[in-house]
Parts: sequence; structure tokens; C-alpha cells
Amino acid sequence: MMIQEQKGEFEPNIIGFLCNWCSYAGADLAGTSRIQYPPNIRIIKVMCSGRVNPMFVVNALQQGADGVLIGGCHPGDCHYQSGNYLARRRMAVLKVLLEQLGIEPDRVKMTWVSAAEGKKFAQVIEEVTRDIKKLGPMKKIRRDNEW
Amino acid sequence: MVDQKQLIKTAKEIVSREDVKYIVGYKQGTYGFVTSPAFAYTPEDVESFIYNPLCKKNLAVYPILEEKLPLKRGEEEDKRKIGLVVKGCDSRALVQIIQEKGLVREDLVIIGIPCKGVIDLKKIEKRFPNQTEVVDVEENDNSEYIIKIGDTVHTIPKEELLSEVCKSCEFPNPPLYDFLMGEEVEVREKEVYSGLRGLDETPIEERWAYWEKHFQNCIRCYACREACPLCYCKTCMADMLDPQWIRRSVNLSENTAWNIMRAFHLAGRCISCGECESVCPANIPLMELNKKLEKDVKEMFKYTAGLDTEEKTLFGTFNPDDPNEFIM
Repeated sequence: MMIQEQKGEFEPNIIGFLCNWCSYAGADLAGTSRIQYPPNIRIIKVMCSGRVNPMFVVNALQQGADGVLIGGCHPGDCHYQSGNYLARRRMAVLKVLLEQLGIEPDRVKMTWVSAAEGKKFAQVIEEVTRDIKKLGPMKKIRRDNEW
Repeated sequence: MVDQKQLIKTAKEIVSREDVKYIVGYKQGTYGFVTSPAFAYTPEDVESFIYNPLCKKNLAVYPILEEKLPLKRGEEEDKRKIGLVVKGCDSRALVQIIQEKGLVREDLVIIGIPCKGVIDLKKIEKRFPNQTEVVDVEENDNSEYIIKIGDTVHTIPKEELLSEVCKSCEFPNPPLYDFLMGEEVEVREKEVYSGLRGLDETPIEERWAYWEKHFQNCIRCYACREACPLCYCKTCMADMLDPQWIRRSVNLSENTAWNIMRAFHLAGRCISCGECESVCPANIPLMELNKKLEKDVKEMFKYTAGLDTEEKTLFGTFNPDDPNEFIM
């Protein structure tokens, strides 16, 4: 974080919660296919996008993330049948809540990437990085003390 | 107006039944405009029951708050029912809890009261500050409150003292009850909740400035949680240490995290009784968050909390056609 601030241009930190079966495999494919994408994303593997508690998102924003991406399987493809549908509902409500509070809801992104879509994954990361860069650093609910 | 005699008579009949442990109602408070909950174990206890527009407290919290001590050897669990005096919103809270399997319908005896709206304690105390004597408040047929303080009688239009949540109440009649006191009342003309008016025009930066001011005042007493009939988890996420979802320091970041968590956990469950807001010592307009979520959940998922005990919960179910514009 310190290094980025010195450079002058804002480089966002993005946390990606990717589901084990589709999005993470998609990221893996992007890597093995040597597709270039911005290095701003830090990936956390979860077993299903339905595992992502909205508090994960809030905690990420508190601890230094400027944006959060949640990646799951395409609707109907979920390894656990309905995890991504449930996650979609939750995130829709979370975005409404953040908007009401005045925290840009665009900081929370959601995407469906299958294991075969390495290229789409790279595109999504580019898009997310560009959008978050535009929004600027997330300072509203950042924790003061880093220990 | 609810007939007090009828209420007491019904409550007496219920509490005399063998399968009822006690009944929770309202009684006159010790000072000013406060009313307090009354627990009646015998028909004599019921004599103190009252019902007036000051009875705002949501009594649906009590069946869940009840402490269940460990049983001695050979002792049997007390499975008798609990009686409750509920208004429209309180009854919806019970429906919601039963829907989530937090309570069993058969364990409750519900006395429903068709509610014409209750007084906001903060408003009336502002109007008549420092009342130490017990005050009697009644509602007449012309939508006015008659307030008797000592020998003087004040007549005040209802709209001035009515709670903000009651002004936009859609369900004044209890959806779930065993005994209904009096006739069902008419639903008020639909009105947008005051905190949501003009929200669309407010730019996002101004909204944060508004909430920042309020969340800085939050002292994290968790009174909102304690007063809420739907915050009944045995271990609240806010109290967990491993993982520690929110840290204990009282600062803007953690206060915001707590308030996001509280509001999110009530999404699709809040029944707009307004208890959280009325108990908040820092005067945070919590209902503005709850109402906004209630409204948007209704628009997005066509879901209204607390109307049908058999319905599935909002986050426990899904529809493949849910909104997905935000997905990249």
C-alpha cells in the first residue's frame, strides 16, 4: 500500500472471492494460458460463491480493499445447485444497503466465470480494475489502526 | 380504542387456563409517559393491564428472552404456553419468528389488538419535558390525543405525536392471533416513510456525510439488538471472538460495520415496529436503513416479511429470475 502511494498514480487493491469450481479454475486457466491481466486483484478461494458472507465484503473494505469481486459459476452450473443464486440475492441487498449509506455500491462486483473462460476472467479483472480506479481509494470505513 | 375491560377479561380467562404459564401485557409505568411490560401469572396480576397509545414496546421479544434453566434430575420441562398482547407489527414479528422456526405457534396464546398507531416517546417527552407524575393518555374519535397531566387536559392532534413508522404502517391489524380485541381498523392511507422521502435526489456523498455524523455517535450499546424481536441469535456475530467479525473499539469503521451487519441481518425480516430507533440513545435513524431495505426487497423479490408462517425466508430461497443487472 505504501509503495503505491509513493508512485503517485492510484493502484487499487481488489479482493476477489472466487468459487473453487468455476471462477478459480477460470483464473487458473487465465494463468496457464498466459493471458495478461492487471495485478491488482488478490484472490481468496472459497468453496462456493454462496459461502461469501456479506461481512467478508465489509471486512475487506475495512481492512484496505478498494473493491471486492465475487466470482461464481454461471446460473444453473453451481456445484452445489443453488449457491450462486443465493449469493446473488445477498449481494443485491448488500448493494442497496451500501448505496443507502453513501458507500459506492460499485465497489462490490459480482461475476459469473466458468472454468473454461480464462479470457473472460482477464476481461473482468481489467474492467473491475478500471472501474475501481475511477472510484478512487476507499477511505470511508477504513480501519485507522493497522495491527 | 381497545376496550380495557374486554382485554382484562380475556387475559384473565387465558391466564386461568391450565396450559398457560403467564401472559405478557402492558402496565402503567412508574413515571411520565413510560409504560412497562407486565407479567401476569395469576388472574389478580392481570388487573394491572392497560392499553393506551403509549404502549409502543414490542412484547414479541419476551418469549425468546425467557431464560431456560437447566433441569434437575427427574424434573420435567415446563411446556406451558405463553400469552402475549400484540399489536399489528408485534404480531408480524411473531409470524416471522415462527416462519424461521424460532418459536412454535402452539406454544403461544396471542391476544391481538387492532392498532391505530402509537405515540413516539421521544416526541411526547420533548413536548412535555420532565414529567415525573404518571400521565394518562387517550385517543378520541377525532384523531386527537387527550393527555391528562395533573388537573390540566391537553388535546393534541394525533399526527404531531404519532410515531413515524406508524404513519406508513400497512398492517395495523395483527395477521396472527387467537383473540382479537375489538374491530379491525382501517388501513391508513399509504404514505411514504418520512426518512425515505427525497432520497433519490440526495447525491451519494451527502448520504455518507449524513451517516458518518450518526455512526460517529454510536456507542455500540447494542440496545437496538436487545429491543429487536428478530435479533434473537443465541450468539450474536457481534459478540463472537473467533472469528471476530467486528472489533470492539468504538470508532467510525467498526460502528459502520456493526450497523451494516445489523441492517443486513434484518433485510427481509424487519417488520417495522421501530423499536430499534426508539431505544437508540444516540438517536441514529436506524429505521431509514430498515425501511429502505424493506422497500427494495419488496420491489426486487416481491417479498414482504411476517405475513405467512408457511412462507420461506428471503435468503433461504431464490428465484432464477432474480435481478441480475449488476452482474458483470
